Amino acid sequence: MSTGAKKRIMKEYAECAADTPAGMKIIFDEQNMTKWEVLLDGPDQSIYAGGHFKLEITFPNEYPFKPPVVSFKTKIYHPNVSNDDKGSMCLGLLRPDEWKPPNKVVSVLRLIQTLLIEPDIDDSIEPSIANEYKENRKEFDKNAKDWVKRYAK
Amino acid sequence: MPSHSAQSIEIYTIEFPDPYKISYHNDKFITLPANASFQLPITENIQTLSNKDVQKGSDPYGILYVPDLTSDGCKKEEEQYVANNVTRRANLPEHIEYALVAVAPWYSAECMNEYFEAARDAPVKAFLVYQPGAAAGMPPPVSDSSWLMGDGGTWKAQNTFPTYAIVPPTGALIMKGLSEYSGNITDLPYNETLVDMFADTDYVRLWATIGTESGSQLPSLWVFLVIVLGLLILAIVGTSSFMHLMQRRRRNDLQRRVINGEVDLEALGVKRLTVPQEYLDKLPLYVYTSSMEDPEKALPTEPPQAHSNTPTGRRLSAPDLPQPVSSTALSQPTCAICLDDFVANESRVRELPCRHIFHPDCIDTFLLSNSSLCPMCKTSVLPSGYCPTKITNNMVRRERMITRMNRNAADRAHTAHPAPPQTADSQAPLSPRRTSSGFGSIGSRIGGAFNGSRRVFSAPDRTSNRPSEIEMGSNQPAAALSPVPETTPPNQQTTTTDPTNPTAAHPHRREWARQRALALLGTHHVAPADEEESCEPRWKRGLRKIFPGFR
Ligand SMILES: [Zn+2]
Ligand SMILES: [Zn+2]
Repeated sequence: MSTGAKKRIMKEYAECAADTPAGMKIIFDEQNMTKWEVLLDGPDQSIYAGGHFKLEITFPNEYPFKPPVVSFKTKIYHPNVSNDDKGSMCLGLLRPDEWKPPNKVVSVLRLIQTLLIEPDIDDSIEPSIANEYKENRKEFDKNAKDWVKRYAK
Repeated sequence: MPSHSAQSIEIYTIEFPDPYKISYHNDKFITLPANASFQLPITENIQTLSNKDVQKGSDPYGILYVPDLTSDGCKKEEEQYVANNVTRRANLPEHIEYALVAVAPWYSAECMNEYFEAARDAPVKAFLVYQPGAAAGMPPPVSDSSWLMGDGGTWKAQNTFPTYAIVPPTGALIMKGLSEYSGNITDLPYNETLVDMFADTDYVRLWATIGTESGSQLPSLWVFLVIVLGLLILAIVGTSSFMHLMQRRRRNDLQRRVINGEVDLEALGVKRLTVPQEYLDKLPLYVYTSSMEDPEKALPTEPPQAHSNTPTGRRLSAPDLPQPVSSTALSQPTCAICLDDFVANESRVRELPCRHIFHPDCIDTFLLSNSSLCPMCKTSVLPSGYCPTKITNNMVRRERMITRMNRNAADRAHTAHPAPPQTADSQAPLSPRRTSSGFGSIGSRIGGAFNGSRRVFSAPDRTSNRPSEIEMGSNQPAAALSPVPETTPPNQQTTTTDPTNPTAAHPHRREWARQRALALLGTHHVAPADEEESCEPRWKRGLRKIFPGFR
């Protein structure tokens, strides 16, 4: 990784640390600054309220030319998070072809918070969960809350 | 059918002056003509009882004879079937390796055993048997009780030759032939012509050749298969060369379009390009001045065309050159890559043809080694018509695939719903989904999130478009289909009024989203060129070498 990229990550961390968005905690390791650990509280107005989710943000070598990679380390029942041990997300500005260098990690984190409140059904990674969200909202809410109880307490 | 089973037996008469000159390998004999001698082709009803020791590629053959019995009882019984003047071992020279084919009637197991024993002592290549008095038609298979010898079938293993059963009339016919053709020329029936041709003392014998599957003659099935295979190869070679020719035309065509500036290989996602140093050197490099100042009065600059060979330092100290810097460029106070603000009259900046400016330290390496597209707007930095690499088949394939997908997506989006209708009151609540959550759309939320970084674009004409500009990537089909550079500010204005913009209220948001998904398909489902090639199975790559048009 180039020194420019490192400088930029440091700068972004400094900004985040100075003004961390509500409901999150960023764990930053200076030895390994390309991997951020984020503890995210389920937003109050969402069905994930009360859950605590661990996320991992990995910066590619080409950062900021390529988007950071986001993965949920805590299992979550969500149409935009892959239902496997990777817990990966790929939508919106996280897409390589939509990512632009001026975008920042903090906007990525805000996007994730927003998605917890309202999933992006049209851009889902788990079509079955997206379908359930559309067709059977009660069942979806129940499942999502179950998972919060089971994995995110 | 078991291998090495007999397909045919050919029996004919041979004539030779000196039996001592005949050997396995040097058959010095003359075959007598059919009309003046014994000839018997047997092509059906041959039952292979044992195919022991049949050598691959060589049919058993030899002089026909009847092996000698040992017991008087068997000899007595044999007289019913075998004439006393048939060819016996005694009628053939000793101490020389003949090729022999034995023939005998199978009238009792005990006597048959004596025949086999005698045959094992002679250079017998094959044994023909027949059951006198048996029914006509195919002799029974070896499993039939009539072939039992009382030894549990060990005779087959003990024998050093194969055994074939023929029908009784044929066997009797051979026996009759053997009695007539086992002496000299003078002993023959109908000998007038032969006597003139050959010496009286010449020997005359019957000869048998057994045609087995493994024989030297190529069975017709194989010939057929070889022909089919040949045609197949011909078809493959023909198709392959045709496709190679087609592909060469496509390569040339793509190259022509690239040179004409109709196709941008990287913007289309066909091939990742980089910017050569000499092109990079042609991009304007100047010292940043505050956007507040009048661009006309802005300090040291130079025209892009003037500095192909001049070193950077000298270029920067050439303040008398005309002013190429646009206000658009100067209106960007921050380097989008390192997020540092440009310092007026101090920071050196590189301006790309799309007018985006960056620190040269930030952008140059990226352009030299990663991409030829502006990281902000994805406009190519390379001059239109620049064809840097050899056009490969893979590039042709990707270009065709991507163009096709884009066209399909556009067609579908167009026929389904050209544009969602716009309600009269554009300030009306957004979609039901959005209002229910009491939250703005994701796009506008992200846009909101970006308010923090608005200083990246502090130009007044851009600020108003800020949220929709962010949405361009994720929400606008048109933007996904054709990377329209956001270089010209007037274009920016259309973004907000674009009827396909989801922020405009309409009841067809779902339909609009579907179109968007289709439109995005074109870009999302095509993996970046570099990654795609490595994860492709080897067989597919091999097949493409032969059939270059193969998808
Ligand atoms: Zn910079
Ligand atoms: Zn640009």
